[in-house]
Amino acid sequence: MMFEVSHRTHYFYSYPVIQSQHLIHMSPRPCFRQVIRNHSLIVDPAPALRQESIDAFGNPVVLLDIEVSHRELILHSRSTITVSAPPPLDPSRSTPWNMLDAHILGTGRSLDLDVLQYRCASRLTTPNLDIEDYTVKSFRPGRPILEAAIDLNQRIYDDFKFDPTATDISTPISQIMKQRRGVCQDFAHLMLGCLRAMRIPARYVSGYILTHPPPGQPRMQGADASHAWISVWSPEAGWTDLDPTNGLIVADEHVTIAHGRDYDDISPIGGVLLGGGDHTVSVGVDVIPVG
Amino acid sequence: MNNTAPSKAGLQGGLVGSYRSSAGTGYDELLDAHGKPRPHWRALLDGLDDLSEADRAARAIRLDRRVRDTGIAYDIFSDPRKPNQRWQLDLAPLVISAAEWRWLEEALTQRARLSDAILTDLYGPQHLMREGLLPPELVFSDTAFIRPAQGVLPEAGGLQFYAADLARGDDGQWRIIDNHTETLAGIGFALANRVVHTHITGDLFKQVNGVRLAPFFNNVQSTLTTHSGRENARIALLTPGPLHEDYFSHAYIARYLGYLLVEGSDLRTKGNQVYLKTLEGLKEIDLIVRCVDGRSSDPLELDPGGFDGPAGLMRVWRRQPRLIVNAIGSALVQNRAIGCYLPQICERLLGEELRLPDARRYWLGDTASRAHVLANLDGLVVRKAQEGTGRPGQAALGQDTRALSEADREILQREIKLHGARLVAEEKIGFSHAPIVTRDGLDSRPFAVRFFVARTPAGYQAMPGGLAMTVDPERAVALSAPDGHTRDVWVVSDDEQAPHVSLWRPTLETARVERSQRVIQSRVADDLFWLGRYSERADWTMRVLRGALRRVEEDGGPATGRHAARKCLDVLLSKSDRSTAAPSRAGTGDIEIEKLCTDLISASTGHRTLENTFEGLYRVAHLARDRLSLEAWQTLSRFRPGDTWVTTLASAPPVAVLDLLDEGLASLAAFNGLMHENMTRNHGWSFLDMGRRLERAYNLSEAILTLFIPVPDAEEETASLLLLLELADSFITYRSRYRLDPMLPLVLDLLLLDETNPRSLAYQLAALARRLERLPGSKQSTTLPEDRRLILALLTAIRLADVESMAREPNGATLERTMLEQIQMLPALSNAISRHYFNLTEDAPHRVHTRIEPHSRSEQSP
Repeated sequence: MMFEVSHRTHYFYSYPVIQSQHLIHMSPRPCFRQVIRNHSLIVDPAPALRQESIDAFGNPVVLLDIEVSHRELILHSRSTITVSAPPPLDPSRSTPWNMLDAHILGTGRSLDLDVLQYRCASRLTTPNLDIEDYTVKSFRPGRPILEAAIDLNQRIYDDFKFDPTATDISTPISQIMKQRRGVCQDFAHLMLGCLRAMRIPARYVSGYILTHPPPGQPRMQGADASHAWISVWSPEAGWTDLDPTNGLIVADEHVTIAHGRDYDDISPIGGVLLGGGDHTVSVGVDVIPVG
Repeated sequence: MNNTAPSKAGLQGGLVGSYRSSAGTGYDELLDAHGKPRPHWRALLDGLDDLSEADRAARAIRLDRRVRDTGIAYDIFSDPRKPNQRWQLDLAPLVISAAEWRWLEEALTQRARLSDAILTDLYGPQHLMREGLLPPELVFSDTAFIRPAQGVLPEAGGLQFYAADLARGDDGQWRIIDNHTETLAGIGFALANRVVHTHITGDLFKQVNGVRLAPFFNNVQSTLTTHSGRENARIALLTPGPLHEDYFSHAYIARYLGYLLVEGSDLRTKGNQVYLKTLEGLKEIDLIVRCVDGRSSDPLELDPGGFDGPAGLMRVWRRQPRLIVNAIGSALVQNRAIGCYLPQICERLLGEELRLPDARRYWLGDTASRAHVLANLDGLVVRKAQEGTGRPGQAALGQDTRALSEADREILQREIKLHGARLVAEEKIGFSHAPIVTRDGLDSRPFAVRFFVARTPAGYQAMPGGLAMTVDPERAVALSAPDGHTRDVWVVSDDEQAPHVSLWRPTLETARVERSQRVIQSRVADDLFWLGRYSERADWTMRVLRGALRRVEEDGGPATGRHAARKCLDVLLSKSDRSTAAPSRAGTGDIEIEKLCTDLISASTGHRTLENTFEGLYRVAHLARDRLSLEAWQTLSRFRPGDTWVTTLASAPPVAVLDLLDEGLASLAAFNGLMHENMTRNHGWSFLDMGRRLERAYNLSEAILTLFIPVPDAEEETASLLLLLELADSFITYRSRYRLDPMLPLVLDLLLLDETNPRSLAYQLAALARRLERLPGSKQSTTLPEDRRLILALLTAIRLADVESMAREPNGATLERTMLEQIQMLPALSNAISRHYFNLTEDAPHRVHTRIEPHSRSEQSP
């Protein structure tokens, strides 16, 4: 499928911002099944310095240093992207999860560090014993990795309630586990914590998802949203994307922006401001299928 | 000294006869297997033996005093009622023979080279992980592994500073128990110990023929200058600030090397450069000696909560990888688990055999090691693999498993399985023993020692000294020494030592000291301004107290004198707001005045009490201490909250208080004199002076208003004039000028208008005006800045005052108006100066973060 994605973030500050620096992950990365046809990022006011590079996880990243005093900031990312569905999956044929060490370390070949780094817990995905207890129900010894991961994905979808009021950006996954509520970011972090407790390579994916208006109603402008899900690795299938918020295996309605160990690595807009006081923000996302 | 000289110590007499080694089966540094002193200790033992017992005791006391005066032991922000972070320095150093030092230096510098090579690999091609020499999960689980440093660290010019904690086991072999690659690891403590110790035992140091430290630090200085690529480099030592437990070390070493001591908020990035915020605007920084955690060095790209460095530092660093030593990310090789893999790594990277291994540890991320540990949990200590570097001796203790209940043990086993990649287990090791000096002679204590290594153009070089600390061998495989009992480390030289070179001389010889001190951070200007205010406030308050107590204790003079003193006490205690009626003369009994004096010294209420003032004085002096000379700092140490002088003052009887106040005033006078004589007349000095002038002007105006409004009768007027002259330290000036009893118009002329009297109001205001005039940016704008406008108004009002007619006015209305005007406008001036010059630091940066906008999943296809 081809999509046109528009992601516009507009900040309003109660006091002038004297200097602001930003780290932006709003440029979709090219990856397996995804081709970037077109992309632009407009910044207003114009930054004194703008550096575009690739971060440690292979994502495009933009650094901004805005030196003029400002009370509003607009970041508008627009992209045209083609996404194709993954090949059919046979979860039962992946390596048993508890044989992974032998598979990875026993080959005698140079180790694939890009995969191995995603086995390790990060700040936002460090599991505890509760989370381990929850996870092992899907991971009986000998079960193929993908089968277990898809089962876990479905259980999180069934057991946890989507509730934007229940958490904020600093709620740890130990808390999510207890209260069984949260948003897509929380579920993605929780599932990563589960998988990493089992030492399965898994990564955080940020992006967009196509939304379907209720039957008979037109699409509302700006009503779409950023989204987050996970990607799990198995020797046979490589990376497989799973969306615990929606309980599904990702096909061609998810657009990837970036991968990392967790949200910290790839937050869409991180910034450090001098001045500014309080701020309000309005975000508009449109994901429009164009063929 | 040569080792074959006859030695009393060799005869088992004297001090060594009192030595009872408690090393047991362990290694004793002093005695060999036959109970004879080892040759390299003999010179020290002889030297100590030659001292009388009384001399040894006296030296120990002086040493203790010196440690306190230097401020090694103090954490200014800790609660003064709590015990201090302890720091004791023993009279006996740890002595290391020349031969052993040669071995140690080779072994330590090999470890520095190895650490450098490991870092260069892990942040570069990562052969070690790809080839299975170092488990990838060990590295990737370590939060000290900083991804954005990938590819940058190898360009940084090499690991600059390395330190290692060593212990000597029962077999006599040294082993490393911890590595430090993140910061300077408390090298300032080791240097301060040496300076303090040789101040007391310089004669012994000569007899032992110890190796001096100065050449090592000279090399460090020239290395860093070369590293920066600029001859007159502006070098800054970046510290987390006075709240950090290692702050003393940062301040001490920065001053010694002649570098600026800066905090994250002093710096800002702009484009591809790092700048220091100064009174004169932004100044480029050429090199940062990093004493903050790598992760907290840039809130934009690294830990979002870490504001110890300026936002954007990573961006600048990528363009200038040599800008920061040690490079960001260096902490990774502190990981204790790496020690398990070092022998093979050393072969692979250096092609050498590892000389000095780590103490035996198990990485709990490894399946086989974990199984072994879980099966043998008793007798092993479980500890974090990565622990930051704080104050030396503060390493965490680790979890001893023997004390656990069955249920806790089961949880621990599960935690080990879940988080093993971040944990190590260690077997207990032996610690060798070395002597300490006690009242009964020599006693023995187990110790660990930290050694320091720095990169120089000729390769790595070890500092010929170190920091030895007494440890509890039952609890640690780390430098964990909560008692803070330290020893200096003396390395015996083979050669004749060069004649004594002052440790401080190298810094004085370098031009950049002077250069860097001309740059005043806005934050430092603020601290100095308040240092001036608090020192003057302390001076004034002590004068008021002295004046009051003298009138009670000494002259037994007329009640009018006591009444005047009481009014001054009241106003400082904020008991009188002048609108209420003045206390009657009958209510000024001795006991009442003594009570007020006690309140003014230490009452919990009232922000102008002496204790509060001392607390403020000591705090800002601490903040600005890299700008103060050691002597100036030492004169202030008397006022440290909780110090004997302060506590005695609060509890002593009035007569004794008078003596103590005289001492306190003498200390302050010494401090002011030192600042006046020794501080360069830069902008920093201007702020110190302005603070003092402003405070003095305010106190004087307030006292005049208090004493003469409402207008007293003739008898009390005379008493008030005498007190005022005493407070303003102008009695002698008055008497030499007029040879008359004090008269109001003459006193007002001397204390208000006379611009040649350094105690007069006009003098303070004129000085303030001159300083403001010379500050940067004072002439740029066409409109007068607020601070200039205020000082002009204040000064004009006083210059135009007619004291003759003021003094004649029966209701004193003009005098009252004039003094009230001063009292109201002076605080406004203080605020205006703050706003104008210090506000660069007021506005702390903060981080914004967007959360992914939640959306309801009901819209989704299932």
